[in-house]
Amino acid sequence: MSTPTQTETAPKSTFARLRDLWNDYLPYWFMAPMVLVMIMITFFPGAYDLYLSLIAEPTLDVFAADFVGLRNFETAFTRGGAIHSFVITITVVVSALLLETILGFVLAALVAGVGSDRAKSFYRVLFIIPMAVAPVSLATIGRIMLNSEIGIIPYVINTGTPFVAPNFLSDVPLLTVILLDAWNWTPFMFIIFYAGLSSVPKTLIEASRVDGAPMWRRYVHVIIPYMKPVVFVATLIRLIDLFRTFGVVYGLTGGGPGTATQLVSINIYEQMFINNQITVAAAIAVVYLVLVVALCNVIIAKVGFEGVWD
Amino acid sequence: MTNSNRRTFLKATGVGLLSGLAGCTRGGDGSDGSGSDGSSGGSDGSDGGTSTDGSDGELAIPLSEYEDADIDWRQFEGSSINIGAVQHPWVSAIKPAVPVFEELTGIDVVWNVLPEQQFRTKRQTDVSTGAGQFDVFYMDQVVNQFREEGWIQPLDPFFDDDSLFDEDWYEPDDLFEASRWQAHGGGYSDTWTGMPITVEVQTQFYRKDLYDKHDLEVAETLEEFRQNAQAIHENESDVVGTVGRGDKGYGMNIYILNTFLRQNGAELWDSFPDDSGLDSDGVINAAEWYVSLLQDYGPEGASTQTWSDVLSTMQEGRAGHIVSDANLFWPGLTGSDSSVADTIGIAKVPSPADGQFSPNAFNWQISTSKNAQNSEQAFLFMVWASSQPTNTWMHVEGDAAFSVRQSVWENDEFRSRVGENFAQVTLESLQAAAPDPFDRKYPEWGQRYSEELQRAIAGQKSAEEAMTQAASIAEDIYSN
Repeated sequence: MSTPTQTETAPKSTFARLRDLWNDYLPYWFMAPMVLVMIMITFFPGAYDLYLSLIAEPTLDVFAADFVGLRNFETAFTRGGAIHSFVITITVVVSALLLETILGFVLAALVAGVGSDRAKSFYRVLFIIPMAVAPVSLATIGRIMLNSEIGIIPYVINTGTPFVAPNFLSDVPLLTVILLDAWNWTPFMFIIFYAGLSSVPKTLIEASRVDGAPMWRRYVHVIIPYMKPVVFVATLIRLIDLFRTFGVVYGLTGGGPGTATQLVSINIYEQMFINNQITVAAAIAVVYLVLVVALCNVIIAKVGFEGVWD
Repeated sequence: MTNSNRRTFLKATGVGLLSGLAGCTRGGDGSDGSGSDGSSGGSDGSDGGTSTDGSDGELAIPLSEYEDADIDWRQFEGSSINIGAVQHPWVSAIKPAVPVFEELTGIDVVWNVLPEQQFRTKRQTDVSTGAGQFDVFYMDQVVNQFREEGWIQPLDPFFDDDSLFDEDWYEPDDLFEASRWQAHGGGYSDTWTGMPITVEVQTQFYRKDLYDKHDLEVAETLEEFRQNAQAIHENESDVVGTVGRGDKGYGMNIYILNTFLRQNGAELWDSFPDDSGLDSDGVINAAEWYVSLLQDYGPEGASTQTWSDVLSTMQEGRAGHIVSDANLFWPGLTGSDSSVADTIGIAKVPSPADGQFSPNAFNWQISTSKNAQNSEQAFLFMVWASSQPTNTWMHVEGDAAFSVRQSVWENDEFRSRVGENFAQVTLESLQAAAPDPFDRKYPEWGQRYSEELQRAIAGQKSAEEAMTQAASIAEDIYSN
């Protein structure tokens, strides 16, 4: 039995210990609700997706599941066509992102250069309209407008130009998908770039003009460097959104002809709902998730958020 | 890792994780657009105990129609059953009669009606996790996959139970042979996997005015069908000879091609599961015929035509003839949405001169899972729903036209309502129908088979190359 010494302090009450615990970890307590929400909406589904990708069939009792290692991944990358759909996705993402960035910037620069405020307002509204169309509606409208029998676009090309319209959905489906996405989302880039251009200080532009810089030099050496954070954020958001593309392509081509426009998202959907291969769909989704996370890391590490968030 | 790097990593990981997961969840929103129709959960009025038609307090069908059956209808009085169904005409056709079942048995019916893809997800989850939420659910081409996984219950023990089934009253032989065959897993099951509730069979639709104008006879053979298409295609400026399903997927191009390949004497799976038969002469000849028909006398971009494109092209008077489901297309082609409603004729699908007439057909059936809480009550509902009195009422008093019972198609009142010619052509087609046998991996290899056919229609490869590749894929899927 020990004897209390003089240096030993009196034991703290339970309330005092709880109060200390609260004060010592105060920031964490404040963060806790948000962290819990984040875990529920992101990490739990992610972990469940990983679990599904490693078992033979979903079961109500997770401990009774038959773990099959990487078999679902093997199936996904052999007969599941995952590699092909990754190639298609990257082609669409890179092409559409480049197209939308360039077109969005050019349109923003043109509208910013318009003198009349009324004309500027008109163009702003005009260029934003396509963005307001829902993906499934856009796909339906696209199918009708591109239909070789009753579509307006082949009709105009055949009757108003010396060219013969291709069968957009069967001859050039990937190009058609990229162009339709560009039509739908260039307005997003336009609106952000237009706001960015409006924020460039007039004094900077005036100074470069006084120094005798022609317009292209003003853009290359003054305006674009100043807008780098805006361009970076816009392209990053659009990049992430492009990886999520599904509705417009599925509605337009269904991923075909064959698998010519089968994005990863469509492949996952077909594995899940057409082939009834839930675990193979989960395996592809896991790989897709890892790749998107890795890509975001690489881009941010190489380009950085300097001048944007830091 | 420095603080800066860690912070950068966390930002990127957060952004990427959110976007990746959002991408996964967004994957399902393009197919059916809307969510539940609001009838999920049985809140549609048919789950209560009100046993009336709703208007004058009388039952839609007199209970006396069922009293002759030597079945103990009331043995589960006071219980209820959950039905999982897709948004489908059968549901709206039978719902007004459900109070009859509730009055007859004392069993409440709770509906869970969902858009098709949403329903498939829910059904898969229900059976594979053993939740057993649905006592009765819609079943389609995944029947053998479900059966072999042990997810659905064979109905034979219920048929053998004298308190649940009366063969003399039910008359199972009145069900079309094609419907009974598909309810037995398309030849893969010795036992009943469910009860058929609707059937669709392929027929030929043609423009009577164009046929008269060009002095054409309705095609009985494939060659005549092609010649008619050619005559219209080459002599009409704004009308294509024919239009057909070219898009991939079950219910699209292969659903039509399977008719022609069987009529050519070929089969899916010459020797299951080693030889798919897709690279046999019969299949290749059928594919070559179908591909060249669409390429030569179909619309541009035939490979992307869905059944709805086919319907709208025909409705707008832009095609000479088509092959499609009688029950699905007849109302659309002869209704107010059609600009050529008065000139549409119907005939049996053409077959090879030396082949056998055997159009493709598709049955929806209802099944019960092994984990269902109320399988016996579910079976009583199946018997009642597919019985002669219920079927006859749905087709005579309602607007249904998909009966699995021969007696309904022979019913004078029904024939008078839908038209004598439509009824007779459909009846003869159903009597000779040869539905697809859905082996357990059909959803997977069938999709790939349809993709290969779509490539051939798009001109990316020959029909022979496409079918040879499809054969290899199908056999490979079973070898792994």
